[in-house]
Amino acid sequence: MNDEVLGKTGWRDGIVTKPQSSRRLPSALRRQLAAVAAIAGFILWTHFGSGIAAFRFRVSSAPGWQQFRASYRLDDFGADSYFTRAAQNGYNLFYFTDEYGKRFTRKTAKDPIHSCAGCHAVEDLAYSFVNSDRFDVRLGRRVSFEERVMRCYAGSMDGFVPTLYDPAVRDIRILARAVAHHLQLSEGARKGGG
Amino acid sequence: MAPAPAKLLKIVLIVLIAAGFYLLADCKHADRETLRQATVELTQSCSTKLRGYALHAGESYRSPYMLRTTGDGSALRGYTEEDVRAIQRGCNIVDDTQGQLAAGGPRDRWNASRYSRSTHASCDHCHQDVGDKQDAAGNRLVGSNGLAASWVMADMYDRFTGLLLPYELRQMQCYINSSNGFKPNAAEDLIRDVTAYSRFLAAALDLKIGNRYPEQGMDEIPASATLRRGDDYVRGADVYRHKCAKCHGPQGFGTVVQKRVIYPALAGPESFSLDSRMNFARMNTVMPGFICRNMPLGEEGSLDNQQCRDVAYYISTLPRPAGDRQGPLVAAWQQVMMTVMPPLTRYAEALARHEHTP
Repeated sequence: MNDEVLGKTGWRDGIVTKPQSSRRLPSALRRQLAAVAAIAGFILWTHFGSGIAAFRFRVSSAPGWQQFRASYRLDDFGADSYFTRAAQNGYNLFYFTDEYGKRFTRKTAKDPIHSCAGCHAVEDLAYSFVNSDRFDVRLGRRVSFEERVMRCYAGSMDGFVPTLYDPAVRDIRILARAVAHHLQLSEGARKGGG
Repeated sequence: MAPAPAKLLKIVLIVLIAAGFYLLADCKHADRETLRQATVELTQSCSTKLRGYALHAGESYRSPYMLRTTGDGSALRGYTEEDVRAIQRGCNIVDDTQGQLAAGGPRDRWNASRYSRSTHASCDHCHQDVGDKQDAAGNRLVGSNGLAASWVMADMYDRFTGLLLPYELRQMQCYINSSNGFKPNAAEDLIRDVTAYSRFLAAALDLKIGNRYPEQGMDEIPASATLRRGDDYVRGADVYRHKCAKCHGPQGFGTVVQKRVIYPALAGPESFSLDSRMNFARMNTVMPGFICRNMPLGEEGSLDNQQCRDVAYYISTLPRPAGDRQGPLVAAWQQVMMTVMPPLTRYAEALARHEHTP
């Protein structure tokens, strides 16, 4: 008997063996399963193990957030909602820019001013929001709130300009909206009412 | 020696083309800047509206509306000449998006018509009275789709898109769906001027950021607000014939006089697309709400909830352009329907009239 025949019958030296092909998966299938497992593993890692904010649906609770949400009655927009989460991310970006907006700033915790809160109070942000989209004499054109935020990232925060749609801009605007709502500001409201 | 001059020629050609594009862009920028600085010629509705709210350049702004209605004359931040012009342009865009009333045509409206396939579409068809509809006593009307109320509630979660929808993005959706057109850039003057106008209205009406006001959006009418007789095509067609056809035309193609849209199309190539929130088949509470609160003009509130749903259902069955979601097959089918159905319907109606003539 030759090997070919032995391979088919699975009988050699008195020991019954299963044919090779039925014990192991075809190599092509094995490769595909490995790829699927790698992708699944990557997804699980990004969501549960990486700690990268972009992959989490919940926003990290930074110090002072609970007190802030109570002071500014963020729960008016829902104890947990898309808007509240965006406002919370805005809070993180505003008070801990070096940590939560690190893509757009070169500042670190070692710098004396390393967050938006280093220059602005959060209520000033709300007043700035209701007074935005106005003509800026210095720049010679009308400037939106979003553009001011983008300029802050590039200038004061010594960093880079996020796009208009980036959460790093949007969530600051939403934080400003939430605070403006709490203060019941109308368009063009001036601090002190004067 | 021949390849070198040929190569040089190619490089020169590329540089010339690039320079041509640069010069063209520069001219366009200069043109836009000229338009920004130009005095704005207001439409009649905008002139009345903005005069009523005492829009002027100055250090501070006090709303006459607030003084009249609440006696509160708080000084808000005033507007510069540039801001005033932006607000005026925004009002004009809302009132006459296509530039049919403008001396300079569409150019005076930042060429908004290039973002709209419909030649009828104008913001104030849905956002009536230049986005700020009031009764004779100056009360803002419920469900009138007010722009100011919409601005103060912008950035909230939008169930249609699943986004925290900024005001600018909402305007883009209007161009895509309600105008059956294309998306302008968020930073374009076209979008920013309408935002400036909406924000001015919010200042004039003293609306607070994040508060819900009854004039925001439509006063939607779900089936549960009726006696649940079902939305009936035949009843809807009957209501349409008696209440809507005299303005919007028997087939819903609108009324155009001397190239000016008097009443907009509700069907056919000039109407809103299948993706519009006004399309009953997509969102069956919005159009009925709009009809009940705003139609027929001069007889607002004369239709009951079921009639509004019936007529909205009927309108949704008329052929109209497909939206972005439908794909090429549906688009082609709608195109065929828009071509074939009107003459067929006319013929059928003529037959019906003939049969009923003694």
